[in-house]
Amino acid sequence: MKVNVKQFALFGILTIVLALVNLWIIESNTILVFTYIVILAIFITIYLKKNKNDIDNRQVNTSDSTAAAHDEVAYAALAQLSAFLTQEIEVIDNELERTRGLVQDAVGGISTSFKSLQHLSTDQQRLIGIIIDNGNSIGDESGSTLASFVKDSSNTLEDFVKVIVSTSKQSLETMAFTDEMVNQFQSIFNLLAQVESLASQTNLLALNAAIEAARAGDAGRGFAVVANEVRALSVSSTELNQDIRNEISSAQEIIAKLRASVEIMASADMTSTLEAKDKVSSMMAHVGKANAQTGKVVDDMAQLVPQIVDTVGIGIRSLQFEDLTYQTLASLKSNIDAVHEISNELNAITEAGSGDLTTHLASFEEKCQKMIKQTKDDNHQRTVSQASMAEGEIDLF
Amino acid sequence: MTIQAITLADNKGLKISISERFDFSLHQQFRDSYLNYNDKGAEFTLDLSNTTYMDSSALGMILLLKDHADKLSGKLVISKPNDAINKILEIAQFHRLMPIEV
Repeated sequence: MKVNVKQFALFGILTIVLALVNLWIIESNTILVFTYIVILAIFITIYLKKNKNDIDNRQVNTSDSTAAAHDEVAYAALAQLSAFLTQEIEVIDNELERTRGLVQDAVGGISTSFKSLQHLSTDQQRLIGIIIDNGNSIGDESGSTLASFVKDSSNTLEDFVKVIVSTSKQSLETMAFTDEMVNQFQSIFNLLAQVESLASQTNLLALNAAIEAARAGDAGRGFAVVANEVRALSVSSTELNQDIRNEISSAQEIIAKLRASVEIMASADMTSTLEAKDKVSSMMAHVGKANAQTGKVVDDMAQLVPQIVDTVGIGIRSLQFEDLTYQTLASLKSNIDAVHEISNELNAITEAGSGDLTTHLASFEEKCQKMIKQTKDDNHQRTVSQASMAEGEIDLF
Repeated sequence: MTIQAITLADNKGLKISISERFDFSLHQQFRDSYLNYNDKGAEFTLDLSNTTYMDSSALGMILLLKDHADKLSGKLVISKPNDAINKILEIAQFHRLMPIEV
């Protein structure tokens, strides 16, 4: 009876602890779970060994009937243990499968989103390039940029100023010639005055001649005719002089008009040109600044692209955890399989339900020791092969 | 007098000063101020320190003075234009044609 109480207490503890194991598995702390399973296996083995010793001792001291009763109780306990293990293994198996599925789905989703992130970033870069190109052009067919347009405007303005200045210069030269011409007119007027004075003297002389001819009587009659003709000529000459004077006067009026129009041609107010030049200059400065800014933005963006690629790379490399998790799950699975094998072994003993329990337990103990060694080796190998995620490169999968 | 022409002491040059407006109305006066100065290698100084306004005919007059100086193998220097006047001279790119002493 003493053994039964001990067994009962032990199973109670085991049940509680296994329930805790169940909780841990759900939290996916695989190493702890595995450690616990190993401890559990050792514990069971120790217990069974002790039990076997007890049985041995009892075989010497107790009767056969008492031994048979003890065996029956032991078989029942082992059957319970086996059933419990089978149930727990099934739960753990299912949880492992579920974890695997969850990880697979999540990794698939994350991987797809990283890939589309890469594509979107490339597209974004291209679109921004188009925007910058459009911003620079002014929409004509020769593909002029705002900068070249402003430069052209500046050149045009310079040419315009050159034309104004050279027009002014030519006009002033014209003006100088005109002034000379006006001076020439003045000399002509002086000459005309002399001619007029000659005509008037001639007129006076002709008058005197006519008077003298009249005094001479009949003898001077012919001479009087000549004198009258000379006088008439002098009058015509004076009239002709006056005509010339009038013509030259109207020429002077025309020259005054010419002066006025040359003056307009020569004197262009430069204020508006100055303003235009200022505008073009400030526009040049603005375009230069805008170009510099655009250049900087383009540079910054160009630097962003490798950063995005790096970041995506880090993300993708981090997805290695899928591989590592699969490996961990696989070894967990092999551990569970080992426990399952032990459980089967236990099952075989309980199914036999009779025979020499000591022999069964001895072979069971051997099996357990082998399993412990095997899982220990496996675990060691795995710890060596599972290095950090950060180590090594991994490509897109 | 808006134009003052002073023959320099050593007789090596002519200084022409323009006060206030330098425009078309001065063209005759301006021309007369230098036309009779025909020394070889003469240096003409155009003093614009008191000039407040200048139109394109002033630029034409300066170019004609420059032609006159070139004909004598002399030179023309523009002296002390104010900011506004200097801007006009710059737009006309006169600083490429003659020294401008600010």
